[in-house]
Amino acid sequence: MTNFAFTLRAAPGQAISRLALRQIRRGGLLVLAFAAAMPAIVVGGYDSMMSDPAAVASLDALAGNPAIRTLFGDPVALGEAGGFTVWRVGTVVAVVLGVWSTLATTRITRGEEDAGRWGVLLAGRVRLRDVVGRHVVVVALVPLAAGLAAATALSSAGPDRAGAAVYGAGLAALGLFAVAVATLAAQIFPARAAATGVTIAVLGAGLLARMIGDGLTALGWLRWLSPFGLIELSAPYAGNHPLPLLILLTAAILVYGAALAAADRRDVGGGLTAPATGRPARLRLLATVEAFAVRRMLAPLAGWSAGVSAYFLLIGITSISVTDFLADNAAFVDAAAQAGFTELDRVEGFTAAIFALLALPVGAFTAVRMAAFVAAEFDRRLIMLAAQPLSRLRLLTAELTATIGGALVLVTSAAIATWVGVTVVGGDFALSAALQGTWNTLPIVLLSAGAAILATGIAPGAVTAFGCLPATGGFLLKVTADSAAAPTWVANLSPFAHLAPVPLAAVDWRGALVMTGLAGVLTTTGAAAYRRRDLRG
Amino acid sequence: MIHVDRKACPLTDSALRTVGLTKRYGRLMAVDDLTLEVAAGEVFGFLGPNGAGKSTTIRMLLGLIRPTAGRASVVGVDAADVTRAHQVLAYVPGDVALWPHLTGAEILHLLARIGPGTDLAYQDELIERFVLDPSKPARTYSTGNRQKVALVAAFATRAPLLVLDEPTSGLDPLMEREFRTAVTQARDRGQTVFLSSHQLAEVQAICDRVGILRAGRLVEVASVARLRALQRAEVTVAFTGTPPALSAVPGVETVEAIGDGQLRFFLTGPPAPALSVLAEADVTALTVREPSLEEIFLDYYGAEAAR
Repeated sequence: MTNFAFTLRAAPGQAISRLALRQIRRGGLLVLAFAAAMPAIVVGGYDSMMSDPAAVASLDALAGNPAIRTLFGDPVALGEAGGFTVWRVGTVVAVVLGVWSTLATTRITRGEEDAGRWGVLLAGRVRLRDVVGRHVVVVALVPLAAGLAAATALSSAGPDRAGAAVYGAGLAALGLFAVAVATLAAQIFPARAAATGVTIAVLGAGLLARMIGDGLTALGWLRWLSPFGLIELSAPYAGNHPLPLLILLTAAILVYGAALAAADRRDVGGGLTAPATGRPARLRLLATVEAFAVRRMLAPLAGWSAGVSAYFLLIGITSISVTDFLADNAAFVDAAAQAGFTELDRVEGFTAAIFALLALPVGAFTAVRMAAFVAAEFDRRLIMLAAQPLSRLRLLTAELTATIGGALVLVTSAAIATWVGVTVVGGDFALSAALQGTWNTLPIVLLSAGAAILATGIAPGAVTAFGCLPATGGFLLKVTADSAAAPTWVANLSPFAHLAPVPLAAVDWRGALVMTGLAGVLTTTGAAAYRRRDLRG
Repeated sequence: MIHVDRKACPLTDSALRTVGLTKRYGRLMAVDDLTLEVAAGEVFGFLGPNGAGKSTTIRMLLGLIRPTAGRASVVGVDAADVTRAHQVLAYVPGDVALWPHLTGAEILHLLARIGPGTDLAYQDELIERFVLDPSKPARTYSTGNRQKVALVAAFATRAPLLVLDEPTSGLDPLMEREFRTAVTQARDRGQTVFLSSHQLAEVQAICDRVGILRAGRLVEVASVARLRALQRAEVTVAFTGTPPALSAVPGVETVEAIGDGQLRFFLTGPPAPALSVLAEADVTALTVREPSLEEIFLDYYGAEAAR
């Protein structure tokens, strides 16, 4: 008999890279598929759409819709499939990639460290700097692959291969920038939520800067300071300038270098900023579980409403110049009117088109809040509450009530910000009209909350995804269906197809009631499942 | 002086009762047909190795997870009716997780406001005794400090039943002593304590009865004294002259010489036959050591594992 002794040859670096890969592979593949599929769908529908005069008219209207323009940037090369596609999906794909890169980076770096799971890794022979670096390089593969996939999908669109390459490179550079900023934030702040929040704020400010730069010619230089602005300035299919992308890439590399330097200077489990070691008790909003739900929401709500208000203040301030411009382009307004966007040359018409977009961030807010509730269950914080004399239903209702209250604050602050913006530049716009317009989006927000509650009951691992489906998913469905000239019933699946342009038109009460009723069914079903299921964690 | 409120704890009822309690996760039987009764005012130790199903049982008692079969009640209330059941119990989880931004004082305030009723003066006393700094945010607490927060919150309630899931795993020896004192005081007030633990010395010191769980099944429930009686004692004798002929005596095992004129053997059951043999020898010293709970425990699992 011979005994064989097997020794596993240690390769700590590779093991850590594989660990990082395991944690992001599912989400990474989804984002990759999204980045490849969106351009492919739009390119595929381009020729058939262009051969249909009615579809061309509706495209012109869509391009003229100010809501779409502020979101997607100036349409510069609509005459060819590639340019049209980049304009159509560029911003959405960039935002999704940027947000995913941020969340993935902070989740697998600071989140894992927070949860105490890095202690074991760092007891081995790798340095903190290398553990951070290995994780980040793995996340960075996703934007690189997404850029490559998007460029490949686009290069089937036409002869301008350079346009496809510039678009793909821009997308990858933006993702890398998000990864780098998130890495730095995760070294500075000793908490995942703070790191995520700061990075999203940086990206949001960048998007806002691009929008301001697009809207106000005098401030066009702002786009040079924004990752989204730099992508726009690279002008795929309309100039193909490499310089803005080189700037963005250099910024990403510098920020990443700063992050590694910061990793060398901090303690494991700590950040560059030290948390307070003691403070007097603040006992407000701790008397009931309902009050506690409000207390936990206040800080995130402040961040969300600052972002939403800033955007709508901008919309208000620019509304007069946009509507004046549109009033001088009667053909434009007529084409838009044929497609359903009526009276864009009036503030009411313009804001009505924009207010619909409010359902996206507010719907996402409800999803994220319910996801935070489930996260507390998964990491066992909720157990201490669940062991008190409170029914499950009461815990869930407290969270839902606080979340809906937060959503009301968000839509109201959007209305006030718009009204202030219009009023400051001397426009005539009633606050009540603004409030009607923003509150009109509430049925879609309720649908989002309902979907999130349903997931809390039956699929607690997927609350964010379920909750974002009605608003973000519905919006993407409508935009894609419109662009790809899909049958009407496809677009009608989107809640946005049933939203009246308020304050220009009256509220579509039938649509609103149907959506609210559906939200009620989702909520009840989810709550019933939540009452019966085992708590995790 | 702590005021004793006997009304809150009816002595006629059992404090905790499970009948055929079962939890199955797919093919894994986590808890198998567990029937158990803990009397009011008792300190009950719930023992078992890792993965035996102790925490799963406790989570069913709290209604956090639903039994696959069977039922549980606490102080006469169905455990599934958490609004009423949690009025009569306080719970310390095995792995305490707290909201990181709240300070210890804020967490204790929240739990006191939504809990089953708290003696705030006693809570302050417990904070002092457990040397807890309540002004720190929970993020900065160590495992032991997080456990202290949960222990202070639970002991300060007037709930008739305290359910403690491995509550001292992160405490230092000084704090463990405070913990034992707090349990004793809880019993003096008439509260029932259901304590799952790995610290056998602790269970031996404070528990009236213990239940031993293995692979989801309850294999023994007995008082600590009775468990010991069932187990073998270690006897050492010193003698002059001829060694006593013990090998054939019923109940005597593993006789070994441990030096000049000294013998050690293990004795199970009635000691009379062994004593009569020893009486014939010229015994100069005799010590009988009862087994510790740890030895009983290891005997139990060692024997089970050897099969």
